[in-house]
Amino acid sequence: MSDDNWRPQIVAFVCQWCTYAGADLAGTSRIKYDPNVRIVKLPCSGRIGPLFLLKAFEQGADGVLVSGCHPGDCHYVSGNLLARRRFTVFRELLIFLGLEPERLQFSWVSAAEAVKWTEVVDAVTAQIRALGPRRQGWGAEARLQTSNSKAQSLEAQPGTRNLKPGTQKAVEEGIRRIARQLLQTGEAGVIVGYGNGTLKDVTTPLFVTEPEGVEQLVWNERCLNNLSVYLTREPVTRLGRVGIVAKGCDARALVALLQEHQIERDKVTIIGVQCAGMAENGRLAARCAVCDVHTPPLYDHLVEDRALDTGDWAEGDPRDREIAALEALTPAERWAYWQEQFARCIRCYACRAVCPLCYCETCIADKTQPQWVPPAFDARGNLSWNIVRAFHQAGRCIGCDECARVCPAHIRLDLINRKLALLIRDAYGYRAGYDATVAPPLTTFRPEDRAEFIR
Amino acid sequence: MMACRMLRPEKLEEWLAELLRSERRLIAPQRQGEDVVFQPVQTVDDITLDYINTRWPVKAWFFPPSEPVLRYRYQGSGVELEQPNMALEPRVIFGVRPCDAAGLAILDQVFNSDGEDEFYTRRRTMTTIVGLSCTHPAASCFCTSVGLSPTASAGSDLLLTPMGDAGYLVETLTARGEQLLWEYGHYFAAGECRSKEAVTEAAEARMSRQAALAQGIELSERLFEHPIWAEVARKCLGCGVCAYVCPTCHCFDIVDDSDAWGGVRCRNWDSCGFSLFTRHASGHNPRPQQDSRYRQRVLHKFSYFPQRWGRLMCVGCGRCVTNCPVNMDIYATAQAVLQVQGVKHET
Ligand code: SF4
Ligand code: SF4
Ligand code: SF4
Ligand code: SF4
Ligand code: SF4
Repeated sequence: MSDDNWRPQIVAFVCQWCTYAGADLAGTSRIKYDPNVRIVKLPCSGRIGPLFLLKAFEQGADGVLVSGCHPGDCHYVSGNLLARRRFTVFRELLIFLGLEPERLQFSWVSAAEAVKWTEVVDAVTAQIRALGPRRQGWGAEARLQTSNSKAQSLEAQPGTRNLKPGTQKAVEEGIRRIARQLLQTGEAGVIVGYGNGTLKDVTTPLFVTEPEGVEQLVWNERCLNNLSVYLTREPVTRLGRVGIVAKGCDARALVALLQEHQIERDKVTIIGVQCAGMAENGRLAARCAVCDVHTPPLYDHLVEDRALDTGDWAEGDPRDREIAALEALTPAERWAYWQEQFARCIRCYACRAVCPLCYCETCIADKTQPQWVPPAFDARGNLSWNIVRAFHQAGRCIGCDECARVCPAHIRLDLINRKLALLIRDAYGYRAGYDATVAPPLTTFRPEDRAEFIR
Repeated sequence: MMACRMLRPEKLEEWLAELLRSERRLIAPQRQGEDVVFQPVQTVDDITLDYINTRWPVKAWFFPPSEPVLRYRYQGSGVELEQPNMALEPRVIFGVRPCDAAGLAILDQVFNSDGEDEFYTRRRTMTTIVGLSCTHPAASCFCTSVGLSPTASAGSDLLLTPMGDAGYLVETLTARGEQLLWEYGHYFAAGECRSKEAVTEAAEARMSRQAALAQGIELSERLFEHPIWAEVARKCLGCGVCAYVCPTCHCFDIVDDSDAWGGVRCRNWDSCGFSLFTRHASGHNPRPQQDSRYRQRVLHKFSYFPQRWGRLMCVGCGRCVTNCPVNMDIYATAQAVLQVQGVKHET
């Protein structure tokens, strides 16, 4: 920094039992240390939600420090261990979006560690001072400004493979046969499936309540919608017990909904369909390239695709190369890339509407007291909305890519989701939507979870 | 009086280049990834004519998604107010399709109904719209069904219609258009005024959606309470896409985006598809589910608005149809509702 007088504004969120007591001890011991940190005291690091950290950045903090009791010392037994996973994922998310890691720091400081506290504060302050003020996009001056940064454009990395349609007609017949049977026997009051859309090459969600209606059910490589979103929608469930047509990725959403107690297993009949892959813009959809659920992980009836051939589909998800390309950029370049993407967001919340796992009665983005997500559709508000959406899906997103498909601004939500899914797979050995009996990764912990970034 | 001129194909680029050098800001369709969007022009080479329609309607250049109506800062025990800077250079928006231009004509009525909306109107008066007729409508287009056409002139100040090798037929429709034509008269050849009828007919013949919806929907209690709404809206997920891509939707919400030091009072786009749209402070919501919300959308466009303003509030651009996550189709819905109402229509 050329300006020697510049003082960073740093917000520290600390727990009251350990770090706050440690900071208090530093004060009563009259240890001199950097005065640029404002402390916010909370009961436990488990209560230091990522939204608080985001709020601090939003309102102009140049850096944020989070500190709590050492693992094993939590006064509420495991608050800090749960928080550790959230901090890990949230930090990685922000780094992926281009935040310099030095701006968001974490430490464990006990009530006795007055000296450690002052050392942490001094070190964090020095690092942030060296970085200079926060980037465009946060702070009051970002209000109602949109980013005009020219972003480094990613080289498009489309999948090269063309589709291999299976025996669609036979599958379609299979779906109809089971649907008819379910409606005739009364096992289902409504079948949620796909019908022909009003435009060529488009299918649409279809609700069939009469056995004669099953002839309208279709199956082809354009059945993109994840229909499981309707299982938590009263206008659909009021029609009766649901029978749902599910591809593998849709069935993963059903697993996640069961896991989160949003649906009851015995109140839904799943017509699983072996799926050879869906088409987007005439090409195999990116997620299908790495699909391991061509046969759904959960079903009551299975419609087989006898021509299903997944043998040579091993070349990987094209998006992993895009993610790697983004990670190879400097934080500033990555920040510019995402600012340019989010500048296009018009807050239509279609990404939320189509997501089977966005079932909250009132979304945090719609809460007004307090207003957690800034309402203006500007650099700051759009960034916060996209961070909140992504983080709320971390460890839950089953990768159906519906959000990215429907985003009218073509924001690469799929890259963010996949980045977080890979992170969680590698860090916690967890992939969403395979096993309804285990705890989702951010609601649990292991004592040995690693987090080397915590001081 | 409508005057017409011709613009030779090779003159178009020259004219745009000169506009770019003028004190007017030139806004024109440009590529952005897989889309074409209106953007301020840096170089004429960036302008594309290869689009059926732009990703977003042109309305955002007059009624932005989010705009400040007031800024405030807490000062001691008081509040310091700051009006937004409304200074605006004159602008030309080139390449507006007839449906989107007609959308502006609709917004003009709305934003000047109970007094004048200074934010909208100021941008309108500073902007000249150069429309560009369509020759190859998309499968989702249905402007003729709602009383417009691929070469309709409503809302444009100048309208260019491609006439093959002869270039563009230029219609001057307003004083603003007249002014622009007068300033750049040397690009436009006076001469024989040709009819665009053949172009219109050819374009219309390419349209696959040709129902008669222009008469609108006649509201009755029976229709309002009819089960058709619950049926068509069952799959609607309640997002803001259909309203935000629509050239005529104009609902907004005024909210404070504030923090410890002050804030901005901003006017944001809003959508009748959202549950929050009608939720009262008490928690009561007079439109509790998607059926009543979607009914509002359809009836506002096809019944309430025509009752008040004598024209439909849908210009048939088809954006809501192609962008809806679940293929809700207002064209199909309007036909179905008319059928319930007992009106015969052609498909
Ligand atoms: S991810 Fe698998 S189950 Fe889902 S659409 Fe692609 S191939 Fe089918
Ligand atoms: S779908 Fe896209 S534009 Fe709409 S709110 Fe989500 S990210 Fe923003
Ligand atoms: S976040 Fe997107 S990809 Fe993940 S489950 Fe929801 S809609 Fe599907
Ligand atoms: S009609 Fe489609 S675009 Fe409109 S709110 Fe419903 S789901 Fe969203
Ligand atoms: S309602 Fe749909 S088709 Fe009609 S003008 Fe609006 S976006 Fe276009």
